[in-house]
Amino acid sequence: MKIKSTVAGIIAALTIVGTASAENYVRYEQNGMVSWGELVGSTIHQLSDAPYLDGARTGTSVEKVDVIMKAPIDPKLSFMTAFNYSSHKKETFGITQDTTKKPGLFTVPVGSIIGPEDDMVRPVGATNFHYEAEMVVVIGKKAENVSLEDAGDYIFGVTIGNDGSERDWQANDIQWTRAKGSNNFNPVGPHLVTGLDYTDLDIEGRHNGVKSQGANSSGMIFNFNYMVHYISKYFTLEPGDVIWSGTMGDTGPMQPGDTYEITVEGIGTLKSTLVQGK
Amino acid sequence: MKYKFKKIFAVISLFLLTTSFAVAETYVRYEQDGKTSWGELKGAIIHQLSAAPYLQGSPTGKTVERSDVKLMAPVDPKDVYMTGFNYEDHIPEDQKTTPYPGLFMVPAGTLIGPEDDIIHPVDSDIIGYEAESVIVIGKRAKDVSVEDASDYIFGVTAGNDVSARDWIPADIQWFRGKGAAGFNSVGPVLQTGLDYKNLNLTARLNGEVRQRGNTSKMIHNFDEMVSYISKYFVLNPGDLIWSGTIGTSETLHVGDIYEVEIEGVGILTNKVIQGK
Repeated sequence: MKIKSTVAGIIAALTIVGTASAENYVRYEQNGMVSWGELVGSTIHQLSDAPYLDGARTGTSVEKVDVIMKAPIDPKLSFMTAFNYSSHKKETFGITQDTTKKPGLFTVPVGSIIGPEDDMVRPVGATNFHYEAEMVVVIGKKAENVSLEDAGDYIFGVTIGNDGSERDWQANDIQWTRAKGSNNFNPVGPHLVTGLDYTDLDIEGRHNGVKSQGANSSGMIFNFNYMVHYISKYFTLEPGDVIWSGTMGDTGPMQPGDTYEITVEGIGTLKSTLVQGK
Repeated sequence: MKYKFKKIFAVISLFLLTTSFAVAETYVRYEQDGKTSWGELKGAIIHQLSAAPYLQGSPTGKTVERSDVKLMAPVDPKDVYMTGFNYEDHIPEDQKTTPYPGLFMVPAGTLIGPEDDIIHPVDSDIIGYEAESVIVIGKRAKDVSVEDASDYIFGVTAGNDVSARDWIPADIQWFRGKGAAGFNSVGPVLQTGLDYKNLNLTARLNGEVRQRGNTSKMIHNFDEMVSYISKYFVLNPGDLIWSGTIGTSETLHVGDIYEVEIEGVGILTNKVIQGK
């Protein structure tokens, strides 16, 4: 009996500690205006600015069901990482470079990012559009030449992303910009969560409800701390910038009407439908 | 009768002169007392603008001598698009090409101005110059036809797309090799009213001509680039499109000076310094 109540007490204490450090942030649209907010239960408390820019509660709140959820990020730069899980085979892509010595870094324009309630769009002329389940971290403060040891201080939180990719374009274009970064290729959300150990999170992707991808972020060849360290050697990371993990395993083609769901423990599920572009 | 003709000629000349002055404007971005502003350059005087000229910036009434301020890159983009292998004379024999532009991106943070130094990173063994012409987008462009594309181009400047020759083949994508901090100088001015499809470009390494070309030789001209990019991406006012370079790009060593000259724009001069 005593043990039971002690266990209950410890669980309660842990829950409180967990709740205190793990905040859920969202970006939402109401009456045509986009705001940042803190999500508590089903209620969004509006913030004066992005949480990583010290946005504070304005006192206004709204129910989540009454607004449109946007991507919970607002970056200037969106860095991506290729072949960062050994299960995602570079040989499939004809890549000969060593991918274990340094990250396979590239970028997409932030205009390609859409929210958890938006549809992915397969452009006219695209026939081989694939899903890619990934985790995405958001930078909390300006990072230049950051050491690996300090990199954790520069990561604000983590969310989920789907790096939609046109495989034929990826194979045929000189660079991946169009294949990876066209409009509406990259849904992100639903929440930006702080206080999670982003080096040890389970991720699962489901194509039309059937599991097709899965991993734990501990399997990343270069974890997010290393990515911050590496990127900040050559580029300046600003608050709000995002870094994508890279995807795992095999990916498959999506047809218009297909859905892809990505679940990450502690964050939730990002579910997107692919529609045909005009 | 003779007098009348002269008078008509004078009126016509004056009209043409006025028109061309109205169309061809020279814009700069400059830093004074730690603050960066846009301005219109007339002779040696900068007339401050309230915002970027492509965002309808208007004169604030303040002026300053050009020699009293530091000129910054005359651009302020969100997205920077570049073009690989867009001049026949820059395509190696074994290089894969596509019938459409070889598009890629670099982060805007890589851009430096006409009074900044190019940084040779410690961990690259070989960096090279790449003289290019650069256009600035004037208004939001999505699904724009080639015919309409010129309406979306605001002006032209010069650029040097410095590239780490050892990183490009070693990395999976060109991003770091093309876009590291301090690699891409732009300027000295942003010029409107030029025929960006027929501009001479000359570039000099330590005073010796190394690259020479004309934008009429671009495989995909800037109108085609705007149309192509706007099919897949949204171009916003201020975004940049680089032409791709011409001829052969050779090595830049610490201490070298590279000049990119475009007719009507002027000379972009940068020195190479050692990074830490």
